[in-house]
Amino acid sequence: MASYYVIILAIGQGAALLLLAPLASGFSRVLRAKIHTRTGPPLLQDYRDIFKLLKRQEIVPKGAGLIFRAMPFILMATLLLIAMSMPVLTLASPLSAVGNMFTFVCLLALVRFFFSLSGVDSGSTFAGLGASRETTMCTLMEPVILLALFVAALLAGSTDLGRISVSFASPSQGLIAAELAVTAAIAFAAFVEMGKVPFDMAEAEQELQEGPLTEYSGPGLALLKWSVRLKQLVMASFLIGVFLPYGAAASPSAATLLWAAVVFLIKLVVVFVVVAVIENSVARNRFFMTSHSTWIGFGVAALALVFYLVGL
Amino acid sequence: MLASTAARSGTSHVAALRRKLPNSVLDESWQTPAQVTVTVTREALPEAVEALYYGRDGWLSVVVGSDERKLNGNFAVYYVLSMEGAEKSHVVLRSLVPPDSMEYPSVTPRVPAAVWGEREVRDMFGMHPVGLPDERRLVLPDDWPDDLYPLRKDAMDYRLRPDITADTETYEFSNAAKSETTEVPLGPLHITSDEPGHFRLFVDGEDIIDADYRLAYVHRGMEKLAETRMGYNDVTFLADRICGICGFAHSVAFAGAVENALDIHAPPRAGTIRTILLEVERLHSHLLNLGLACHFVGFDTGFMHFFRVREKSMELAELLTGSRKTYALNLIGGVRRDILAEQNTRTRQLIGELRSEVTRLVDILLSTGNMRQRLEGVGLLDHKVARDYSPVGPTVRASGHRRDVRIDHPYAGYAGVAVGQHVLEAGDVLSRTMIRAQEFFDSISIIEHCLDNAPGGPILVEGFTYKPYSFALGYTEAPRGEDIHWCMLGDNQKVHRIRFRASSYNNWPALRYMLRGNTVSDAPIIIASIDPCYSCTDRVTVVDVRRRSASVVPYSEMERYSRERTNSPLK
Repeated sequence: MASYYVIILAIGQGAALLLLAPLASGFSRVLRAKIHTRTGPPLLQDYRDIFKLLKRQEIVPKGAGLIFRAMPFILMATLLLIAMSMPVLTLASPLSAVGNMFTFVCLLALVRFFFSLSGVDSGSTFAGLGASRETTMCTLMEPVILLALFVAALLAGSTDLGRISVSFASPSQGLIAAELAVTAAIAFAAFVEMGKVPFDMAEAEQELQEGPLTEYSGPGLALLKWSVRLKQLVMASFLIGVFLPYGAAASPSAATLLWAAVVFLIKLVVVFVVVAVIENSVARNRFFMTSHSTWIGFGVAALALVFYLVGL
Repeated sequence: MLASTAARSGTSHVAALRRKLPNSVLDESWQTPAQVTVTVTREALPEAVEALYYGRDGWLSVVVGSDERKLNGNFAVYYVLSMEGAEKSHVVLRSLVPPDSMEYPSVTPRVPAAVWGEREVRDMFGMHPVGLPDERRLVLPDDWPDDLYPLRKDAMDYRLRPDITADTETYEFSNAAKSETTEVPLGPLHITSDEPGHFRLFVDGEDIIDADYRLAYVHRGMEKLAETRMGYNDVTFLADRICGICGFAHSVAFAGAVENALDIHAPPRAGTIRTILLEVERLHSHLLNLGLACHFVGFDTGFMHFFRVREKSMELAELLTGSRKTYALNLIGGVRRDILAEQNTRTRQLIGELRSEVTRLVDILLSTGNMRQRLEGVGLLDHKVARDYSPVGPTVRASGHRRDVRIDHPYAGYAGVAVGQHVLEAGDVLSRTMIRAQEFFDSISIIEHCLDNAPGGPILVEGFTYKPYSFALGYTEAPRGEDIHWCMLGDNQKVHRIRFRASSYNNWPALRYMLRGNTVSDAPIIIASIDPCYSCTDRVTVVDVRRRSASVVPYSEMERYSRERTNSPLK
C-alpha cells in the first residue's frame, strides 16, 4: 500500500514540476523586465510560447540524424525522471531506487551529453561551438557537484538523497560549517546548471545564436525549451528539497504535504528572485575565463570536505 | 570663389608636391581658402597620394569617380586627403582617365586606405585601377551584368533593375590563415546585427584566425537618385535620409559642400544652431552605442537603462526640429527653424537631466563586475593599422590618433567652441567605449556653450547664384567620425556628381584586423565597437536581390499592412 502511495507521489511531483516550469521561467522574465524598467511579457507568456511552437511546422537540417530528432524526447524523459526521484515535498525520496546521488549525477550528465551531441549532429557551426562549450561546462561543474554530494553523503552516512535530506533537515547533529559549505557549493552548482547569465555559455544568444538550439523548430523546439525550463526548476528544487528541506513532510499525509507545498513555493520564489538579481546585474563571462569563476565552486566544496574532516 | 592667396591654408602642401613631382602637377584650383584641387598626371597619382599621406600627415577621406566626358572628354578620379599636420587643409588630387583605355595606376599598394574607394570606382564607372590587389566587386551584386556601370551618365535609367541570373552568391571570401581553419558564416542576416552584412570568420576552435566580410546588400541608389531625379536644393533632404542616426551630419555636410562650391556663407546663428543639433545627434548616437555594448556582452539591464535615458535625447530632437529624428532642418545657406527662448530653457533642463542620469549609468556600467573583463584588450586596432586605413571617429581616437574634423577643419559653429579631444592609446573595445562616454559629456558642454553664446541675426541667406560645374567638399564630424561629401553641380539645377561618404565606410576596412586573434564570442562586441552603420555604407545602386521583379508598393497598402498585419504586400 505504501509503495503504491509513493508512486502516485512521484508521478504527481514530476507532473507538477513539469507544469510549473513555464510559470517559473515566466516569473523570471517578469522580474527581468522589472529590473530593466520595461513592461515585459505577462506571467503566463511561456505557456503561450510553447503552445504556439507545438503547432508550428518542424524543419530538420539536411545532415541531421537520429540523435538530433530523438534529443528533445530524451532530454524531457531524463529530466522528468530526476524530477520524480528527488525529494521535494517529502524528506524521503519518492523513488528511492533512483533517488541516489550517483544516479542523479549520471542523469544530469546524460542531459548534457545528449544536448551537446545533438549540437554536433545538426551540422551547424554555431550548434557545434555550443556543444563544445556545453561539454567543457560539464567537465568544470561535475567535480563540484560530485565533491559536494560526496561530503553530504559522508555527513548523512548514505548516498540516498532522501537520507541526505533527512540529515540536513535536523541541524542539531553538528558539523554546521561543513553543512553550510556543502549547501553553498550546491547552490553555486545549481545556479550554473540553470544556464543563466553569466554562465549561459552554450546558448549565448548574441554570441552563438542559442548554440545547440539553433537548428530546432516547431514541436522539437517547444519540447526543448520546455525541458530547459524544467531543468532550471529541477535544479532550484534540488537545492531546496535536499539541502534546505525545512518544512518538508517527514511522514506524508495530506496536511503535511499541503504545508510542505506552501513552504516549498515560498522558498522557490526566494531562489528565483535571488537568481534574477544576479543574472541581471552582470555581463556574460568570456568563455575561456569561465574556469576562473567555477573554481570558486570547487573551492567551497573542498572546504566542506576539510570542515568535515576536522569535525566543524 | 577665389580667395586671396594670403589667407590660404595648404599652400605648402601644393609647393611640396610641385617640388617632388615637378613635371606631373598640371593645375591647381582653390575652392575655398582651405580647399585645393590639384590635377596630376595619371602616372604620378600613386606617388602624389603617398607623398601627401605618409609624407605630410595626410589621411585619405574618400575616393571619388566622376564621369566628366561632357566637360573634358574624360573620366576623372579624385583622391580627397585631409591634411592634419601643422598646416591643416583639404587637398584633393585629381587625375583624368581617358575613356579609350579606362586605366590608371592603383594607389592601394602604396596607401592601403584607398582599397574600398578604388573597388567602388571600378564597380560604378568601369575605371580599372591597374595593380589593385583586391579585384572583387565591392558594391555590385555578383550577377550584375559585366558591362553595365551604373554611375556613367549614359549607362542606365535610375529605375532599371537588371534581371537576377544566379541564386547563389559567388563572392570569394579571402582567408590569410596559414593553418587549417573552419568557416563560420555570420549573415547576410544575423541575429546580432540589425542590418544585413555577410561576415566570414575563419576560426580554429573558438579563435578567429582571419575574417572577411561583404556588405552592400541594401543599396538605395542615393547617388544615382540625387544626380538624375532631384534638384540640387532637394538633395539636402535626401542627405538626411542617408542615416537613421546621423542624418543631420550628412545634410550639414551636403549643404556645406554646396555652400563651399557657391561661396555662400551661412549666417553665424545658423552655424550655431547646426552645431547644437549635431551635438544632440551625438548624444543620441553615443547612448545607442553604449547600450548596445551592454547588450552584446549579455548585460541587458544596462542596455535597457541606456535606452530609457536615450528617450530624452529624442525628446530634445523633437523639441528643436519638430521630429524625433533631427531631420529636415537644413537648407543650403542656413536652417529652417530658429531656437526660441522657451525651447532654450527646456533644452537646458533636458540636458541637465541627461547629464545626471548618464553619469550614474556610466558609473554602474564601469563598476559592473565582468564588464571590464569583456571589453579590455579585445578587438585591438593597432596604431599602425589605423594609420594605414584612415579610420575615423572614436575608432581612430582610441588607437592614439588625434583626428577630429571639429578641431582639424572647423565648420558650422565649431570655430569658437572648445571641443574636448579624447585620445586613448590602448586601441581596444574598452577604449572606444570610454571615448564615447567622455564625448557624451563634452557634447552636453558644447550645447550649453552654444546656448549661452548664440549670436543673433538671420538664420538663412537667400539670393545666391547657381554656378554650373562648380564643386567642393563638405564635411562634418558625425558621432561615428568624419562624414565627407564631394559635390559637383551640373548645369541644369541638379548635381552633376555627388559622392556621399559616411563614417562607417572608412572604419569597415580596418575591422578585419580587429577581429583577428579574438574569439568567436567576441566578434559581435568588436563589430559593434566601431558602431557600424550598414545602410550608410550601402547607398549607391538600387538592387533588390530577393525579387526578380520590381513592383512599387503604394503607401496606402503599406499603411494598411502595418495596421492589419495580414496579406503582406511584400510577398
